[in-house]
Amino acid sequence: MKMATLSRPYPKVGGLESAGGSASPSSIARMRGWLAAWLPAIPLLLLVSTCLIAPVVVLVWQSFTGMGETGLSLDLWFRVLGQRANQDAILTSLLLAASCATVTLAIGAPLAWMISRMLRGSRAFWLGLLNVAANFGGIGLAFAYMATIGSVGMLTLMVQGLGLPFEAPREGSLPALLMAYEYTNVPLFVLLTIPAMSILRDDWWEAAQVAAATRLVFWRRIGVPILAPFLMAGWLLIFTWTLGIYGIAYGLAGQSGATAVHLITLQIGSALQSDVLLGPGRAAILAVVLMLFATTSLILYRMILRRALRWL
Amino acid sequence: MSGVSMVGVTKTYGQVKALDHVSVDVCEGELLALLGPSGCGKTTLLRCVAGLERPDRGSVEIGELDVTGVPTRDRPIGMVFQNYALFPNLTVRQNIAFPLEVRHKVRREIDARVDELLELVHLTDQADRYPKQISGGQAQRCALGRALAPNPEVLLLDEPLSALDALVRGRLRDEIRRIQQLVGITAIYVTHDQSEAMAIADRVAVMNAGRVEQVAAPADLYELPATQFSAKFVGSRNAVELAVHDGRVGIPGSFHIEAPSGSNGHALAFFRPEDVVVSRGADGPGMAARVELKVFLGATTRLHLIGDADGQPIAIFGDLPSRQARLIDEGEMVRVDVDPSHVHAFPI
Amino acid sequence: MAVNPILTATGQRAAGGVRLSRTARYLFFGAVLLYFCVPMAAVLIYSFATRWTANVLPDGYTLEWWQATVANPRIQSAFSTSIALATLTAIIDIAVVVPAAYWSRVRNARIRPVVEVAAAVPFALPYVVIAFGLMQFSGVVVPQYQGTFALLVAGHAAIAFPFVYWAVDGAMAAAGIERLSETAEACGASPFQTLRRVVLPNISPGLVTGGLLSFAASFGEFAMAQIIGRGLDTVPLWSAEMIRSYTDTAGSYNRLAVVTLLTFAVLFVLSAVVVYWNRGQTVRLLPGGVASDKGGGR
Repeated sequence: MKMATLSRPYPKVGGLESAGGSASPSSIARMRGWLAAWLPAIPLLLLVSTCLIAPVVVLVWQSFTGMGETGLSLDLWFRVLGQRANQDAILTSLLLAASCATVTLAIGAPLAWMISRMLRGSRAFWLGLLNVAANFGGIGLAFAYMATIGSVGMLTLMVQGLGLPFEAPREGSLPALLMAYEYTNVPLFVLLTIPAMSILRDDWWEAAQVAAATRLVFWRRIGVPILAPFLMAGWLLIFTWTLGIYGIAYGLAGQSGATAVHLITLQIGSALQSDVLLGPGRAAILAVVLMLFATTSLILYRMILRRALRWL
Repeated sequence: MSGVSMVGVTKTYGQVKALDHVSVDVCEGELLALLGPSGCGKTTLLRCVAGLERPDRGSVEIGELDVTGVPTRDRPIGMVFQNYALFPNLTVRQNIAFPLEVRHKVRREIDARVDELLELVHLTDQADRYPKQISGGQAQRCALGRALAPNPEVLLLDEPLSALDALVRGRLRDEIRRIQQLVGITAIYVTHDQSEAMAIADRVAVMNAGRVEQVAAPADLYELPATQFSAKFVGSRNAVELAVHDGRVGIPGSFHIEAPSGSNGHALAFFRPEDVVVSRGADGPGMAARVELKVFLGATTRLHLIGDADGQPIAIFGDLPSRQARLIDEGEMVRVDVDPSHVHAFPI
Repeated sequence: MAVNPILTATGQRAAGGVRLSRTARYLFFGAVLLYFCVPMAAVLIYSFATRWTANVLPDGYTLEWWQATVANPRIQSAFSTSIALATLTAIIDIAVVVPAAYWSRVRNARIRPVVEVAAAVPFALPYVVIAFGLMQFSGVVVPQYQGTFALLVAGHAAIAFPFVYWAVDGAMAAAGIERLSETAEACGASPFQTLRRVVLPNISPGLVTGGLLSFAASFGEFAMAQIIGRGLDTVPLWSAEMIRSYTDTAGSYNRLAVVTLLTFAVLFVLSAVVVYWNRGQTVRLLPGGVASDKGGGR
């Protein structure tokens, strides 16, 4: 018995319009339904699973199995984490990421606030500028840093020429990396937190004024409690992002050679390039360590945001 | 309690004159409504009293105090905003306590006062909820409590009911009026809804394009509109364009009144639908008209009538009690009459 | 009445903020502007310099580096590789993301959480790590593709897709794409027709923004190019080689300066287009959970 059907373009998820009789086996029907629900997303899911998820899984697996050894073991973990160079790299990366995020917060928060209050025209200008600066990383930035405050950089020579005793931070040292990172991190932070700034409504400030509050009181009791979680979330994002920076560090560290700081990302890179035998194993462990930090960070990030939005 | 006095307040934004030499007085304990369409300047005027805007010219006095240059936080005011403006990270209780805490009152005093206010606005059960967890009506009541907490001289309300559902609006409107009268506080109430203004105000100031058209008690405003704008804006009315003959305007067969001064050839006559007397049958007083449409509005029915004046067809609305209107059919010819004392004419 | 930012009589925005005086504000912004422009100025001067080691300004100026760089076949090929790579990345990302985002809004809401978790991966994990993993994985599954252009494109597409997703998703939200689709369906349009004539035109800002962001990400990407694209030559790879030459041999730094400026110019144009297309509104770069589509913005 043929059911009268409207000419629908496509069936909805969950239900199934069977134009035929009721004799179709339910498994085929279920698969058709599933396909209809997921088909357009499949290319993306394919790309993501092969190029993002699978690599991550492979790395985690390899960190436990070691290169070619049978069975899961923590052997490689102990060996790699016991090495001084690796421990250095982990600690230094964490230190760099934390200090970078803090400096970024200190500069970026007021900047984001002021820009969010600007009128359309100048705001567009600053957003454009920040966009460029946020995307400008990697080797180019490392070079620009060198040319400016490197040992023979323009500013260095200028200041020294004025007679002031100025020792430029050695490229590849922690302060140098910090300064260079700020170039992309501050704009990134600002771009990420500007949407949050507009959460503070004008009429809250007006209501506070009517209630006889000063600016200080407003910020202390209303502004900061509301914005703080978003700023912390921004801090966490920059922290996570900084842990993973490679290009800039590569460019700057190349200058100092063996005396450069050890960073996890650099170690991974050099392990892959120089050490064909043990390299991949070491790199896998370090990569998983990075993954752990990043995942923890991201979980914290989500938790903070959920808390932040409980009032809004 | 003090009255408020606004003298010659002027405010310009670039090319736009938001307020043009506005002078209004609010008596002690009175609720004055500022009524007008969007852009008429009513909100700007309120914000000038609040200190959130600074007038280019003119002065604002609260009681004996000239507050024109005084910053908002030093003015003895309380304000209720259209979108409640409750601090989202504070509970209802903390919101109401905020103005008192800012003024460094003693804890015991604050708690007592907050409880008193929670009682006043009927929010005792919601005291420990956050703004996100309460309804619009409750939020606005909390805002009212917060505004009244520091015992201000003047209460300012900026379209407090606009963001609420229609059902909640009427009840809250009456609540606000009840509380205002109970506390005896001077209040300025901004709204674009004329029925709302008429329902609660002691006096209404009708504003248009930065100017005050008329200030009068609601009943007077309704009966005796002083300007064409007041007539059009307040209450539903018929507005009929009529030719001036010998210094008089009128509908032949119905009313004739003196033409308003300044009219050249034509005048606009205003009269209310409920003042239109409709009688059945072809003879009787009034102008002949045909019933075009009947609209049932509950207690009354509105008749759309098409008549003839000087050869020109005119459209008139007449309101009848529904029981009477039931007897009249659409398409029927009736006679339409208006008492001249109910007609106000303005020059075009 | 909308809460409009109104100018007070002093011309300053009446917002609760740390009210710095006008001069303090100008100083702050001036310092920030300087911080961003000075390095670029240094690079610019470097690109025109003959020798520049000891003095504040170079010994002499020349156009030879610009001429040499632009004419250099290796650099030309690096640029064309990078541009091709970035363009393909953008195209693939758009082609892959738009249907998924559309379907997750219109038919199957369960797609969303899956995609959002996937979108967090390139942000949480450094590209180095992903690149390394991809190398290992491809070594096991498709070893013949290792070191090829195709694999690098796939890798770039994977790490750049979040930019496209957030931009497109935001544009769909802003356009109210669910309602538009229902209306189109009610008018009798097929899914393809709906996509082509209703959806795509209405999300064009998101497409442009997302496409340009993914282009920029791919163009400047170094880690993955180094690890996966071993046999290839992209602009960042070339730059890395130049910067690691310890002595300023044969003007490698000068050439690097030129290339850096060219890269910067590309980024600048892209960013300008992105900002222009969005007319000064903030672009949603991340899932902040922040109210950018709750009408919180101005």
